[in-house]
Amino acid sequence: MSRFVLRRLISGFLTVLTVFVINFMIIQAAPGDPVKTIMGKETDDPQLRMALEAKFGLDKPWPERLWNQFSAAMQGDLGTSIIYNRPVGDMIKERVLPTVLLGLTSAILALVIGTALGIFCARREGSFLDGLFSTVSYTLDAMPSFWLGLMLIILFCSQLRWLPAQGMVNVRAGYEGWDKVVDVLIHMILPTLTLTLISMPGYFRIAKSSIQQVTSEDFILTLRAAGIDDGKIFRKYIFKNAILPTITMFGITLAFLITGVTLVEIVFSWPGMGRLTMTAINQLDYPTLMGVYLIMSISVAVMMVVVDIVYALFDPRIRYN
Amino acid sequence: MQQTTNNQDKLQDLKPEALDPQVSEAGREEVLRIKDMNVTYVNRNKKVKAVRHASLTIYKGDSMGLIGESGSGKSTLAMALLGLLPKKSTLIDGEAIFMGDKNLLTLSNKELNQLRWTEIAVVFQKAMNSLSPVHRISTIFEDIYLAHKPGTSKQDIRKISLALLDLVNLPERVYTLYPHELSGGMLQRVAIAMSLLFSPQLLIFDEATTALDVVTQGQILKEIQNMEEKLSTTRIMITHDMSVVAASCNKMAVLYAGEILEFGYVSQLMKTPYHPYTQALLASFPALHGEKKQLESIPGFLPDLSSDLSARCVFAPRCKNAGPRCHKEKPYLKPSPCGCGEVACFMYDGGVE
Amino acid sequence: MQRSWLQSFVKAFRADRQLRYGILGMVFLLIVIIFAPYIATHDPYSFDYTRLLAPGTDGHILGTNHLGQDVFSMIVYGVRTSLKVALISALISGAIGVLVGGLGGFLGGKVDLIISELINIFLMIPSFFLILLIIALFGNSIVNVMIVIGITTWPSNAKLMRSQALSLRERTFVKSAVALGESNSQILFKYILPNGIFPVIANTTRGMSGAILTEASLSFLGLGDPNIVSWGQLIYQGKPFITSAWWISVFAGISIVITVIFFYLLGDGLNHVLNPKYNYGRN
Repeated sequence: MSRFVLRRLISGFLTVLTVFVINFMIIQAAPGDPVKTIMGKETDDPQLRMALEAKFGLDKPWPERLWNQFSAAMQGDLGTSIIYNRPVGDMIKERVLPTVLLGLTSAILALVIGTALGIFCARREGSFLDGLFSTVSYTLDAMPSFWLGLMLIILFCSQLRWLPAQGMVNVRAGYEGWDKVVDVLIHMILPTLTLTLISMPGYFRIAKSSIQQVTSEDFILTLRAAGIDDGKIFRKYIFKNAILPTITMFGITLAFLITGVTLVEIVFSWPGMGRLTMTAINQLDYPTLMGVYLIMSISVAVMMVVVDIVYALFDPRIRYN
Repeated sequence: MQQTTNNQDKLQDLKPEALDPQVSEAGREEVLRIKDMNVTYVNRNKKVKAVRHASLTIYKGDSMGLIGESGSGKSTLAMALLGLLPKKSTLIDGEAIFMGDKNLLTLSNKELNQLRWTEIAVVFQKAMNSLSPVHRISTIFEDIYLAHKPGTSKQDIRKISLALLDLVNLPERVYTLYPHELSGGMLQRVAIAMSLLFSPQLLIFDEATTALDVVTQGQILKEIQNMEEKLSTTRIMITHDMSVVAASCNKMAVLYAGEILEFGYVSQLMKTPYHPYTQALLASFPALHGEKKQLESIPGFLPDLSSDLSARCVFAPRCKNAGPRCHKEKPYLKPSPCGCGEVACFMYDGGVE
Repeated sequence: MQRSWLQSFVKAFRADRQLRYGILGMVFLLIVIIFAPYIATHDPYSFDYTRLLAPGTDGHILGTNHLGQDVFSMIVYGVRTSLKVALISALISGAIGVLVGGLGGFLGGKVDLIISELINIFLMIPSFFLILLIIALFGNSIVNVMIVIGITTWPSNAKLMRSQALSLRERTFVKSAVALGESNSQILFKYILPNGIFPVIANTTRGMSGAILTEASLSFLGLGDPNIVSWGQLIYQGKPFITSAWWISVFAGISIVITVIFFYLLGDGLNHVLNPKYNYGRN
């Protein structure tokens, strides 16, 4: 078990390292010139340029810069935004909470609803409801998240006028305390619904197929032949065996939580990491971009290691391989 | 190779009373009497008659080998007896009277659940798949035990289980392991031990040793026989392997395309098989004692079970002795010439012409 | 040989509903691509800044966007963009995946250790963000989009190909080729790749739908190629008008959903037919 954990940790670290190098290489090779961008197109003052280059460390040779950035990043320093002149780490910190709030809520909803429907359909294969849910799931799976978000806005905001389409709070109302919580919840409904609908098909499919597969296993037949009540066989044996792929999938969703939410954040102007990225891209804010990407990759790598370890706790077979 | 030799030796070792039907059957209790049993799989556009007109009686202490190629309906028969076939897609009729008063084919699932494992237990083909991979052996034993005797303490179950594991030559530590930590042979022993939890009247082994290597298979068959001497169980052994039947059964029924073609004592059928199919089966099974013969395979294929087989001998197209009558009329089981078994063939019932 | 291949294809086509609908869908898309100039009612590149028309007005079946371009004609031409992106990026991703995975699985040993670790690492990298980053920095031409999608999505293909190569390596015909002294590259290209490529083809089909969605997402973020008509771009253009001119975004999205479903059906169907795990003889 400890060897297994160690291997996964090394693998995770290598991933972060690779991301760092790729990131650095991309920015090295990119055609844009951040100093030019920040100085503005009209000014061309060599002194200002040199000052800026020194400030962002652009005057040093690239291996030194790579090393400096890497050691700084390992100490939590992700650099400074060239546009806002603020530490990138701080900017990310402000945005993480809304993103995680949105991502986590919808991940849990999708997990619970998708899995429940999958189990329901697996036990009623070929029924009308099975056909209906399977078709809906297939269609949702083919849908771009941002488009679904727009469609929900058309329906619930411009047609029915039930829900707000933009932002996280009603700025003009200036709610405090309990009212503010309710306000955030109301603003969350549509983005959460979009994300839940988009990620449900995965859970639906995996739950349905693995329940079906486990049900046809020989050991289930043995248990039935042993006279154990069908309900108990399902609850204890089929479920525990069939839920393993779902756990993995939930772990992967959590790992890619931040990246998965981005597009929907942009549709609903949700003040999270996705919006931060968008602004950074439009303004060629390299340190911010790099910081965001690095944080995302680290969170993916860390979560994947956690997922593998948690999975090993559920499935005794993994620990020994 | 070694194993086959052992099997042949076994034939010679068989107790003399087993050879004499009059002595062995008189006054023995019937465990299972199957009468005119049919199993049909129904699917959207066709009906597959997997078992037809099966009739068979098993007495207490018998070890009945049910032998046939894959697709002959032998597993279907067992699954139907256990009530494990999907109700929606199968039609079952006929009778299977268990212990003189219960028709297995008409019992409700609830009634069956009471019989299952306490009276009839089964060991399936692939032992590696017959135990849940994410549960310890102990958990599975406990759940099965508690399903029939709720309230038993875990210590008591443990005690009973360890005794059974010991019976099949497994060490105590196996009880708390996961299935993937055991070898195929050990898993098979676990499955056998599990089937003995309530010392059932009837044990069904469905290809239970097929997936094992010959050495392990030989050991396990030997253990089964030793164990039966202690527990006096009755056993049905479903297999396609003649050597398994030879090594571990006293009676055998030969199944072909869902029908029983011949039935009798192993010791006698091994020497003088009557049905051409049994003869062909034995010819394809290597005999290391005696003269070297060419191993024969049987030409042709199993008939399509969804076609109409009601007015001909099912084996006729592949039979070298078949005559015109075999294609027009169906032979039924009749006492065989020795008087010690039954055979469904016109050769012993008025000729094939 | 050729004939039996064709026969089993016809058999699979009849037996597998998903494959059948998938292929019919592809045929439909191909017809739209070839006859786009005849199907389209207007030139999708003709502008008229004064007109933002609702569906059904002035011969614009699905209305016009804020630049006065005909939405229906843009959707018809958009098939070309989507399929081009899907095909080329899938080819790149498939080629890299097959080569890398085939090499690792076939050569084994240290090479395989490095390659499989590399595959694992790249599987963990958030690829959409990498694509976003590269496109944002290197410019948003459609060629860049295709290449970047191709070079960031190969790991799943490599993983499949690697496991195929691993099992093929143990097969008799490969072993005998080794014994006969054929060179490694001969064996790789003559035996391993042609025999192991089928599951990769099925996976690549699924990958194509991913590429279509990725291209649409990039366009929606404003990172699409401004010189090309694409569905994602239509949705992007429609976003500010979502309350007043819903039709700009709605129909383009529907087209994406339908096209992606066609690819899913084809991919699932191919998977049933090409994946050795499924067996058609039995059902």
